Amino acid sequence: MNGLRSGYLVLILSILLAQGCGGNPETPGRPASATDDLGRTVQLPRTVERVVSLAPNLTEIVFAAGAGHKVVGVTTVDNYPSAVQALPRFGALPLDIEAIVALEPDLILANDDINNPRDTETFEAVGLPTFFFSFQGLDDVSRSIRAVGSLLGTAAHAEAAADSLEAAIAALRARTGGVETRPNTLFLIGDETLYAFGSESYMHTLIELAGGRSTTGTLDTVRPVLSDEFVLTEKPDVIFGAFGASYDPARLLAHHPTWDIVPAIQTGRVYSLDPDLVLRATPRLLDAAQLMARRLHPDLFEPAGTPAALPETP
Amino acid sequence: MRKPLLIVIGLLLCLFVSIGIAVAVGSEVTVGEAYRVLWYRVMPTEGPAPDATAERIVWRLRLPRVLLALLAGGGLSIIGIAMQTLVRNPLAEPYILGISSGASAGASLFYLGFLPPFLSKALSLPLAAFLGGLLTITTVYLVAKTRSRLSVARLLLAGVALSALMASITSFVTFASPSPQKVQAVLFWLLGSFASTHWGVLPIPTIATMLSLLLMMALARPLDAMLVGDEPAHSLGVPVEATKRVLIVLAALVTGTLVAASGAIGFVGLIVPHAVRSVVGVTHRRLLPISFLAGALFLLWADLVARILLPSQEVPVGVITAFCGVPFFLVLLRRSEYSFGS
Repeated sequence: MNGLRSGYLVLILSILLAQGCGGNPETPGRPASATDDLGRTVQLPRTVERVVSLAPNLTEIVFAAGAGHKVVGVTTVDNYPSAVQALPRFGALPLDIEAIVALEPDLILANDDINNPRDTETFEAVGLPTFFFSFQGLDDVSRSIRAVGSLLGTAAHAEAAADSLEAAIAALRARTGGVETRPNTLFLIGDETLYAFGSESYMHTLIELAGGRSTTGTLDTVRPVLSDEFVLTEKPDVIFGAFGASYDPARLLAHHPTWDIVPAIQTGRVYSLDPDLVLRATPRLLDAAQLMARRLHPDLFEPAGTPAALPETP
Repeated sequence: MRKPLLIVIGLLLCLFVSIGIAVAVGSEVTVGEAYRVLWYRVMPTEGPAPDATAERIVWRLRLPRVLLALLAGGGLSIIGIAMQTLVRNPLAEPYILGISSGASAGASLFYLGFLPPFLSKALSLPLAAFLGGLLTITTVYLVAKTRSRLSVARLLLAGVALSALMASITSFVTFASPSPQKVQAVLFWLLGSFASTHWGVLPIPTIATMLSLLLMMALARPLDAMLVGDEPAHSLGVPVEATKRVLIVLAALVTGTLVAASGAIGFVGLIVPHAVRSVVGVTHRRLLPISFLAGALFLLWADLVARILLPSQEVPVGVITAFCGVPFFLVLLRRSEYSFGS
């Protein structure tokens, strides 16, 4: 269903883009309205010069789409790219609506995973258009880059960025596509309370891209909390966690002492990643996939050398 | 009068079967396999060792969970009786009177590092919960008590108010803490869960609950006398005020140690004693042990429902007990006069 919806969006945007004569931001024929990922029709100003991002991943996507210079405000959680450090901040949970209105944006970008669509009624009431994005699959990232480029008048830059992301994903897929074994790979968001990715998540694509098979890929809950015994019976070969780069893997066994017979624990294949890299739907998911691919299939990458010094966040 | 004995035997049989079912329900381990693991752990010489995964699931994850559910069900039921005898009203219950919320507040204050550890962490958490519960029930009791008698309306209102205050303290300290899993923590303390039980959490609540059961059994006759009234009990030679203080401390002790292990679970102490009274009467000598067993059975099944109600996630067990308990409470409240039978 979502694929269909995204397909429509791309179609609509590309028609609108064609009408907009090559994405020149000053052209008067720019779209007056667009349909966002929630199916809402958003009235757009003629040109968007001031944009506010309500989610860290959208900030990264705006920068990737070549419109970073139009961002006038980000949440207090934003930290990437480094250019955001100089920008005005507002609280995200709960949303500091007054601070956002004071930034006088032309357009607000929101993520339905983090932001409450109810907040936008307040924005609409003060005449601020809010455009929602929805991220379920990995391809939603490149799709969103293109959409942002079209909304903010940097379509050519965004198109190039999305193309290169897709090419890099295809290159990694080609590299890991022929692996003989796909390790049973469990991705955990929490180490004590076992939050994980359930149905309809980009994480399963990411793991598949890295040459693994996602343990939680067949669950029917969107945000499951796993039990200790689920992990015991699924017997994952590798465990990745979004616990931060300096996490001590021994803590996982300390929290869950019965896991001493889980293959990943026995063979020491527990790896922690920077949460910003894996929990945000951004182009950096590719970096995460590459890091995971190196852990899952070290032989595919450097034959010998520096496995300890993996590049983390730039 | 063989009836009580038959009931005890029946309940014990039900418990035995239910433990097996509770330990086996869930993923891939069958009932037979579950009993085999239990049997192997009790009689290690028989046959080949069971599968390591099944052994861990049954013995190290599910059995402590089931035992804590039994203990909490039994403990909360006898504390329900203690409270009901104390205020001579069947509406009293540790959760309704705010003891559970007070214990949650104490435990979460300690757990999130707002209170210094007095002893070891294993002892400090139940101690903080005990003190929180004791403070709350003492306040509620003093507010409700007038010179001559205890006002039930005041008691319930004070309980509700204190309960709300303590729940707010729990929520506040949780949200003020740097813990990244705040919502989960608040849910645990306020609605209860047996999900992360391991053997290590069992000894302290076991000692507290068993001690209380024995002490209350020893006090069975004075408690019976107190049901009739303070004056008659006094004239029978019962040290009424001292016994009341003992009941309050026991209530805080059992509720506190249980809350520290499994969070605040409500209404068990309301439903179970009431149901048992309707079968065996109000005499504490029978009421206490049978309520203990029945409460254990009730919470075991409530936890089982909490585990399987939603696919691949758990409902806090307090939600289930509230679903059962609140309608029950309203019906009891509606009855203008409730007598303790006899």
